[in-house]
Amino acid sequence: MILDLHTHSEASEDSRAPVEAYLKWLVRKRSILPIDGIVLTEHRQWSQRVDYRSLEDQYGLLILRGAEVETDYGHILVYGVNDRITERFDFTNVRLSAQELVPAVTEMGGIALPCHPGRPTIGLYEHYATKPPIEGVVAVEALNGGSRRGENERVHELIERHGYRAFGGSDSHLVSLIGVCATEFDCGIRTTDDLVAALFRGGYRPVDFRDRLRTAA
Amino acid sequence: MAISLDRSIVGVEFDRTVCEPVTETEIRTYSAISGDPLPPSPGGGALVAAPTFVVSVRGKKFMPPKLPNLGAAGFDAGKDIEFGEPIHPGDVLTVVSTVHDVYEKTGRSGTMAFLVLRAVITNQRGDQVAVIDQKMMFR
Repeated sequence: MILDLHTHSEASEDSRAPVEAYLKWLVRKRSILPIDGIVLTEHRQWSQRVDYRSLEDQYGLLILRGAEVETDYGHILVYGVNDRITERFDFTNVRLSAQELVPAVTEMGGIALPCHPGRPTIGLYEHYATKPPIEGVVAVEALNGGSRRGENERVHELIERHGYRAFGGSDSHLVSLIGVCATEFDCGIRTTDDLVAALFRGGYRPVDFRDRLRTAA
Repeated sequence: MAISLDRSIVGVEFDRTVCEPVTETEIRTYSAISGDPLPPSPGGGALVAAPTFVVSVRGKKFMPPKLPNLGAAGFDAGKDIEFGEPIHPGDVLTVVSTVHDVYEKTGRSGTMAFLVLRAVITNQRGDQVAVIDQKMMFR
């Protein structure tokens, strides 16, 4: 099963992509982008009220939700967001403590994973040069579709040094970028709980469809 | 410089301007300069302004008089426009400006603060002509 674990819809202030447009694009590009579902990780926010079940049924794609929050170690994707997590952490705070967030999210039933770790200022790599490693990190986004040259490459050093697992996501803010990078799981995933369990357990890897898209163009 | 994110300014109306009636010359000049063509007039009726004509409609105050300390330098970070009723010559437009949002985010270059100023433009019948969210970025 292949999921794009890092996407932004128009709910994020810097994206103009409607969720349904993502789904239409994936259906249209299915022969090139074998994506089974997406995880919406809107910036600094979480809403319990959003429900995409009718879109899932209409397009035959899984839609899960997480959040991208901002910490003193850079940006972190949170999956399995629940009331306990949002009551404890103000997602609009761009100075959250990563050392506090990561273990607390795990304790409260979710998982918190650093994204685009090779990116300056908002990536783990740079912060690890001056600060101790974050306790409890099990994986990092080794492949990010929005990274610039050299940013994804720096992540391999982190993975080797700290034994992190690797996953991928498009970090899409535009419709045509959805699914360009994603994560292939050995197991099936139907719910957010399944996703959290799988991310802890292992048996997944980043997949890159950019060459395939370029060839098909 | 430490920034202040005092959200008490969110929702505060800082300007309400009733503009002079829109003229045909203004509508035609805007299209000629901007390149945004005049849309066809329904049934050959009154002239219709180009959709983006609304960005030329401004209140008297662009910024609220009292801003929190968002940083030393600010610049235009783009605008979102929700278009409503078309504009015709003779329309009397009212612009109501409020602070819609203030928030921080972090990116490759560091921490930024954003101020979103919302202008709601209505015509003499009270119909909504446009909602313009103007973003300003500070650091």
